[in-house]
Amino acid sequence: MKISTRGRYSLEALLYLALHTTEGSYMSIRDIAENTGVTEGYLEQLFIPLKKESLIQSIRGAQGGYQLGKNSKQIFVGDILRAVEGTLEPVACIQTKKCPQESTCITRHLWGNIFSSMIEFIDSISLQDLVIAFNNMDKEEYAL
Amino acid sequence: MKISTRGRYGIRLLLDLAEHATEGHIALAHTAERQKISARYLEQVAVILRRAGYIHSVKGASGGYLLSKAPSEIIIGDALRVLEDDLLVVEPLKPGEKENKLQRCLRNEIYNPLNERIAQVVDGLTLESLLCSQSPEKSYLYFI
Repeated sequence: MKISTRGRYSLEALLYLALHTTEGSYMSIRDIAENTGVTEGYLEQLFIPLKKESLIQSIRGAQGGYQLGKNSKQIFVGDILRAVEGTLEPVACIQTKKCPQESTCITRHLWGNIFSSMIEFIDSISLQDLVIAFNNMDKEEYAL
Repeated sequence: MKISTRGRYGIRLLLDLAEHATEGHIALAHTAERQKISARYLEQVAVILRRAGYIHSVKGASGGYLLSKAPSEIIIGDALRVLEDDLLVVEPLKPGEKENKLQRCLRNEIYNPLNERIAQVVDGLTLESLLCSQSPEKSYLYFI
């Protein structure tokens, strides 16, 4: 039931962009790499599907780089994971594959329940929620 | 975010043994045929479940497998953890392993709550409740 490295790194990179870019400002892939610890090469790979889904945008040139493709309120964790992992179903029979035993299969019901409880959660958390949580972390850590 | 074949087959084996509990020891070949899955693979899964104390076997002509516990005492989450090793979406932090703040934020806000949600679903179900969710009229079949 693991989230892939692709998924985790994408979340880290996009959270970093959400924290450090504002409208009109772009961040180079090198800066993102240095600050997330994900290599430039890996980020470039991840940014292809993320860009395709309009979760990030880029411009070329000296001041170029990457920023979020839309408002951080409108980018959900589920969107990011789906962009890089494809379908998030725990078992292929939930969405991708048709199974002849679908209507009578007891376990499909179980996998479906797991799936919906996960999806409901990750589609409710936006990058903006994560930014707020991130900024509150300092306060909590200093309070300890 | 996949449940492995081992996890899927293991749950189907437990369900099948529960459904046919009145027929005495069940030959894996029969389960494999009913469930349309490979008998050889099912044997490997049966070994794992036997070692964990979920099922036991009797050798011989009328031998086969039986559940070792009542279906009401088999919690789906526990059985899945035996089959899948764990049900966590991200590996827990190893002793001495460090996380950066981005990773810590994602763990607190996404990975840990997601693990809890999955656990809530699977730990709230027993083999018995799973069987009943499908066919309440057949529930007399699985008491031991």
